[in-house]
Amino acid sequence: MKSQLRQYIQETLLENGAPHAVQDDENLLGSGLVDSVGMMSLVLFIEETFGVAVPPEDVTIEHFLSIDTIATYLEARVAA
Amino acid sequence: MLYLLSQTIDQAATRHPDAEAVCCAGQRMSYGELVMRANQLAHLLREQGVRRGDRVGLLMNKRLEAVVALYGIMKAGAAYVPLDPNAPVARIAFIVQDGGIRHLLTENAKAKAVQEMLNMGVSLHSVVGVDSQVEPRVACFSWDDVVAAPHHEPVVGVIEQDLAYILYTSGSTGVPKGVMHTHRSALSWAEIAAQTYGLHANDRVSNHAPFHFDLSTLDLFSTAVAGATMVIIPEMYTKLPASLSKLIEDEQMTVLYTVPFALIQLLLHGALDKRDLHRVRWVLFGGEPFPPKHLRALMAALPAARFCNVYGPTEVNGCTYYMIPASLPETDEPLPIGGTYGNAEALVVDAHDAPVAPGDVGELLIRSPTMMRGYWQRPDLDAKAFYHRPVFGHHVDVFHRTGDLVRERPEGGFDFLGRKDRQIKTRGYRVELDEVEAALLQHDDVEAAAVYGVPDEHGSQHIEAAVIGRPPALLEETVLVQHAKKLLPSYAVPERIKILDTFPRTSTGKIDRLALRAKALEGKDQHEEANKPPA
Repeated sequence: MKSQLRQYIQETLLENGAPHAVQDDENLLGSGLVDSVGMMSLVLFIEETFGVAVPPEDVTIEHFLSIDTIATYLEARVAA
Repeated sequence: MLYLLSQTIDQAATRHPDAEAVCCAGQRMSYGELVMRANQLAHLLREQGVRRGDRVGLLMNKRLEAVVALYGIMKAGAAYVPLDPNAPVARIAFIVQDGGIRHLLTENAKAKAVQEMLNMGVSLHSVVGVDSQVEPRVACFSWDDVVAAPHHEPVVGVIEQDLAYILYTSGSTGVPKGVMHTHRSALSWAEIAAQTYGLHANDRVSNHAPFHFDLSTLDLFSTAVAGATMVIIPEMYTKLPASLSKLIEDEQMTVLYTVPFALIQLLLHGALDKRDLHRVRWVLFGGEPFPPKHLRALMAALPAARFCNVYGPTEVNGCTYYMIPASLPETDEPLPIGGTYGNAEALVVDAHDAPVAPGDVGELLIRSPTMMRGYWQRPDLDAKAFYHRPVFGHHVDVFHRTGDLVRERPEGGFDFLGRKDRQIKTRGYRVELDEVEAALLQHDDVEAAAVYGVPDEHGSQHIEAAVIGRPPALLEETVLVQHAKKLLPSYAVPERIKILDTFPRTSTGKIDRLALRAKALEGKDQHEEANKPPA
């Protein structure tokens, strides 16, 4: 799961622009890494790839700060 | 009478020292503390040689100290120059050098960028906000050093006509230009806005825009005029609308001011039905047109709020406004920008500066106390930016040429119809397309470049480009994007760069950018068509 997230973020969201390999605990929301439109496409990618619905109220800093937090959130969603 | 921007917080602190001036990510600062810290910083800067008329840079992410910093700079007699913390270092370094900036307010997270600037040959006398020495030849101070300075207000001899801040914005010749505002022009705007929207001490006003963006001056200074609280929205929240809406609820914000793009994101992805936002009484927006269908939906989602379209280029702060009627007609006609505030005069003129007939299209010229002093060290730009109307024999009334094309409506007020030049707004950010072309042309392998705005699905537009390579070089889009990212802020970097052998040309041989734009739109439709799930 994390590797798919990592690949999507690195290759699609940071297309042409990744200065380095994104780490699983790296803050995706700081310092102009991913913008708001990028975050919305990440949500779509997650819904399509993992077959889970992500309601808008769940797309928060708590869940989407890093690849680690997204994975934790998704594991809980899939288990539910 | 207030005549300096920093007196707004002095006044608030005298009246209500314990009232909350600003908060950010759960940290709060009262007016009393804000004044004390700003005075202390001013003393430290004075000791380092800062004097009236100096420019001091502000290179920081949004945090409480950034507000202390900009008031401290002004209390030292200098003008603050906010630098985009996410901009490429080369661009920041250009502004530091262009502005003759010798002193910088920053934070530990930016120490590396400061170091890179110094390596690029930027010369600084002092840096405040770092815990360790950046470089032996630069005097470095931490925030703890600031707290050790005296509390009282330093005497600096600044008057309202002196510079308060310089905002750098995109420049069509390929480098950013600095818009100079005085204490008078900035305070005039702060007071007009505070009065127009009836801000009072109990208001909690959002600060969504970064400090290098002119929308932030209403957040900062109108709020201080009213003795209200400014709630800083940290950058992270601007990327996740559901977190932003939660913050608006938790911080009990009453006034929101941002660009339509951010409000549309809030509407579409902000889980507004799950939030209690009844305290929001004003939603102010500006920077670019707000598509009426989204505005209608947002108004339905926030029934307790009033809405206002705030118009004005950075050069004149706000100059017209349009109060959105409670029931917005069910059409997609663009919203008017409204009429001027009381203390402003508008002219609509043709290419020869002759007034157009009522209802005809012309350029909007504005005369108001909110107008800039001029562009920093660019007499060439000043010569084009102002219109002088003779009065009383040898005197003149000075108007700013906005470059915006407008048409007066039969009932008064104006419709915005576009630009005279090649400036566009992308998600609220102002970009000169010629600056982007100049950046692409700086690449050795680029022979010709054409840059254009393409309408996007968010009601705004994004930037695309087409280039012709210099034979025998084989250009790659990724290489060019990387190149542009080193020179331009991220919002000005083209989302797509097509490599072409030739450009479509108009009958006079000019690059036909409209044809390129039309092709880009066509391509986008096909792309969307191809990505549609089968019916």
